[in-house]
Amino acid sequence: MTLRPMAAILVVLAAAAPLLAQTRPPARPSITGSWEGYPVRGDGFGSGVQPKTRVPPPKPVPEAPLRQPYLDQWRAVQAQNLELTRKGLPPPSSGMACMPEGVPGMMGATFPMEILETPGQVTIIEEAFNQVRRIYLNAPAVAPEDAEPRFAGHSTGRWEGTTLVVTTVGVKESVRFRNVPHSMKMRVTERMRMVSDEILENQVTIEDPDYLTGPWTWTWMYKRWPGYKIEEYVCDDNRYFEDPALKYQRLRVN
Amino acid sequence: MPPRRDRLRLALAVIALALISITPVRAHHSFAPYETTVQMKLTGVVSEYRWGNPHVYFEIDAPDASSGQTRHWLIECASTSILNRAGWKFNMLKPGDTVTVIVSPLRNGDPAALLKQLTLADGRQFTNGAAAGRANIQ
Repeated sequence: MTLRPMAAILVVLAAAAPLLAQTRPPARPSITGSWEGYPVRGDGFGSGVQPKTRVPPPKPVPEAPLRQPYLDQWRAVQAQNLELTRKGLPPPSSGMACMPEGVPGMMGATFPMEILETPGQVTIIEEAFNQVRRIYLNAPAVAPEDAEPRFAGHSTGRWEGTTLVVTTVGVKESVRFRNVPHSMKMRVTERMRMVSDEILENQVTIEDPDYLTGPWTWTWMYKRWPGYKIEEYVCDDNRYFEDPALKYQRLRVN
Repeated sequence: MPPRRDRLRLALAVIALALISITPVRAHHSFAPYETTVQMKLTGVVSEYRWGNPHVYFEIDAPDASSGQTRHWLIECASTSILNRAGWKFNMLKPGDTVTVIVSPLRNGDPAALLKQLTLADGRQFTNGAAAGRANIQ
């Protein structure tokens, strides 16, 4: 081969290199594995093992920016519930009935959770109540009006660099994170990325034009729990029920 | 107030130190029906151990500290996964075992109580996980 054609090939390859690099997925750590809520807890709730590199914990979930009169109604119910609980008469809850927390509540990782990355899909399993959500990658977004109401809704996602961006619609109106009402127009956006070798951050944003004056945002974090095997959690012996007269949580003793 | 409840309250006042315990509510339901400011110690014989969710229960027959009469108690524990992580095993109790528990009883006087600490006959001790709170008597 003469020098001239070789030089031409090299020039073409050099020109194509950036294009080739763009089509290659960016290097990012896998998020497959078991996770616990961060800051970590011990005594049955978590590993109690602190991360090697300390990451500042997220701020508490703020109050929802509810429209009026919903905000006043929500505050009144919260105050009433607190007072009843103080008297030992906690009002019935979906948790008492062993209903799944759904989205976004299950992502609070009260119990450990498992994330599985497989081609075209990310699956998240929360130990409490055996909750599962499936996030379909690079799939067409589900229109809220076409989304069959579900506890976990309908989630689609895409990787933006090293951030997994997930959009969820179609969460049942009966699923109330922190007792906050929502409509079928609610859209939950999550941005998940590793902020250290061990800590996964999840920036959650809730939008709902019917109930919220603007986005409701907060951050949750999870720490890797290598080797933890998610347990089964089926409510086969729920002894809690709503007192028929006083409408509070009661335990079936006999 | 029924006399039975009076007797229970008197017994609790005698045997328990009424100490405030901070109980974080991060479970499937509230523990508020329990008198969490009261802790009492019972030693009794296990009649049933039910390993299930949302919560594990066992039942004991234990003599009342004041009257000496045996009462049948339902003892509420945490979920199976919390207990596994706290070192329990699904088969570590069986009917006939003698155990000592530190518990907070129901406020309404029913003979059920929330476990704070379990001691087996061989001396091994177990908590009931973070949500149930720790024993503050021994």
